[in-house]
Amino acid sequence: MVSLKFQIPTTVVLSLIYVVYVLAGGAIFWYLEGNQLEENSRIFDRKKVELLEQFSCIEQHALENFAQEIIWAYKSGVVFRGNRTLHGFWQFSTSAVFSATVVTTIGYGDISPTTTSGQLFCVLFALFGIPLNVVVLNRFGKFMLSIEQRTSAYIGQKINRRKTARVAIAGISFLIGMTMFIFIPTYAFHTFENWNYHEAFYFTFITLATIGFGDYVAGNNPDIIYPFWYSQVVAVWIFFGLAWLSLVINLCIEMLEKLSTYLKQRQLDSLENKTIEETVEEPDPAEPREETSASKEDPTAPTCS
Amino acid sequence: MSSNCRSGIMVSIFFVFYLTYLFLGALIFSSIERPEEIRLKDELRVLKTNFLNRSCVNSSSLETFLEHVLTANKYGVSILKNASVNTNWDFASSLFFASTLITTVGYGHTTPLSDGGKAFSIVFALLGVPFTMLVLTASVQRLMHLFTYWPMGVCQMKAGWSSRTASKVQFVLLLGVVVVCFFVVPAAIFSAIEQTWTFLDSFYFCFISLCTIGLGDYVPGEQSGQTLRPLYKITVMVYLFVGLMAMLLVLRSFHKAADLHGLTSLFHLPKCEEEEEDQEPIIDSLESSELDREALPHKQLTAEPQTSYNSINR
Repeated sequence: MVSLKFQIPTTVVLSLIYVVYVLAGGAIFWYLEGNQLEENSRIFDRKKVELLEQFSCIEQHALENFAQEIIWAYKSGVVFRGNRTLHGFWQFSTSAVFSATVVTTIGYGDISPTTTSGQLFCVLFALFGIPLNVVVLNRFGKFMLSIEQRTSAYIGQKINRRKTARVAIAGISFLIGMTMFIFIPTYAFHTFENWNYHEAFYFTFITLATIGFGDYVAGNNPDIIYPFWYSQVVAVWIFFGLAWLSLVINLCIEMLEKLSTYLKQRQLDSLENKTIEETVEEPDPAEPREETSASKEDPTAPTCS
Repeated sequence: MSSNCRSGIMVSIFFVFYLTYLFLGALIFSSIERPEEIRLKDELRVLKTNFLNRSCVNSSSLETFLEHVLTANKYGVSILKNASVNTNWDFASSLFFASTLITTVGYGHTTPLSDGGKAFSIVFALLGVPFTMLVLTASVQRLMHLFTYWPMGVCQMKAGWSSRTASKVQFVLLLGVVVVCFFVVPAAIFSAIEQTWTFLDSFYFCFISLCTIGLGDYVPGEQSGQTLRPLYKITVMVYLFVGLMAMLLVLRSFHKAADLHGLTSLFHLPKCEEEEEDQEPIIDSLESSELDREALPHKQLTAEPQTSYNSINR
């Protein structure tokens, strides 16, 4: 007689582990960043005091108001640097990049619509754009996958070793993907944006994960003159990088599923062996033999057509 | 072979449509926002000249100072001396940050400054983002039984509707409930708590957050003197998670309804999975799981379209 232990639903366990994970992350960030903030505050306060002392005619209150205005303008995309007339954020090319970041849900936030109609339009735009984006990325990922599969099938036939060919091609295409979408962009951003390597890598990761903080944004530095093809190439990279990433994730899920099926099969086999032993010891015809392949008959649940 | 061709044509059509959509959006954004920007620029130019005229500061030291102001502001350090110190890195805010990181919302109102913080963000997100997707998928799967399959079954039995009608009705009802509970009501609450936000601003914020776009132009709890700030931040965090689940639920109901209407095969989109198939959960909680299938969540790992970026069907 197999004892029935108390069943904790897997979802609850998963959710608990998740909560712990987020809490742990919060604690670690608290530790890592808390000190840095204090230091920055002190440095800034010192500079402010220096300026006020240097120019005695400025009143602190007026300076603070002025600075607030500047901050607000900066957030709206207007930057002051001498007498240079700057193009601002809402030209066509930068607006195209903005709509791309909305639709891919990256959402840097370095520019965002400030007018009410702009915000309303943003909501509508995203409502249709995000599903469209998901579908297109999906299809592109599938397309890239089919190329890889056809190549591995072709090579597998040629050298007559299907499995090794598949594994080898999978490994190679993964490496090619990593190089094209992570390593080369890191180097490119390091070169064009004058970021360190780890800053460039951080930006690449945050963008491709669609987190998009906006603390680093490619093409945003008003001091750098970018080549004319720069923002288009960055947009292309984001698109194909996202498609590639979705492909990788789905392959990982597939591998996990295969592993799960394999483990389940082993468990099933061992359970069958155990039940056989038990029926030999204790003949009990009332003991049902479960078959996991039997599907539940549920006439009320709709089926997928 | 012809199905491959058709599928290829569909891809191209989708892609062209996608590009057109982006370009049109860009045009419209540009035409809406540019005049406002020009106006602001002029205003600011006047402000700066006035300030410089009245004071003895020379232009260059002012500009150096302003650069520092902007850098400090990016890192969340406020210029106002008497502002109650809203640290961005107390425990509740760090927790909030961690949650925006792994849900990929990524407001960016606070970002890690130290190198250690950045490196840890990458590692944390590398594990956390798939983990989030896993948790969301698993939860939504269970919720689907409660919110989609059961109501549809009830409709079909009691009212005798076909599965198609039932799915349509169920989807519309679910959409209405989610919009009210996760958009309208929170927007009203936010506009009441945040003094500078109107109802539309709050609605815009809810939408941008729950789509995981997270522009960061509106972030709750950032104004000075916010009462009960830690509790507020944690509540918003919970709202984010539950809201994401709700969005995913609506999406999957829509997918189900579209599937029943044959739209998915028309556009070569991935079909929804068979929910009657028994599959063991990826993480087996206890040994005797095969004998008690009722208690187990049916954890399917076939990918379905989600608001995040993984959705290739096998």
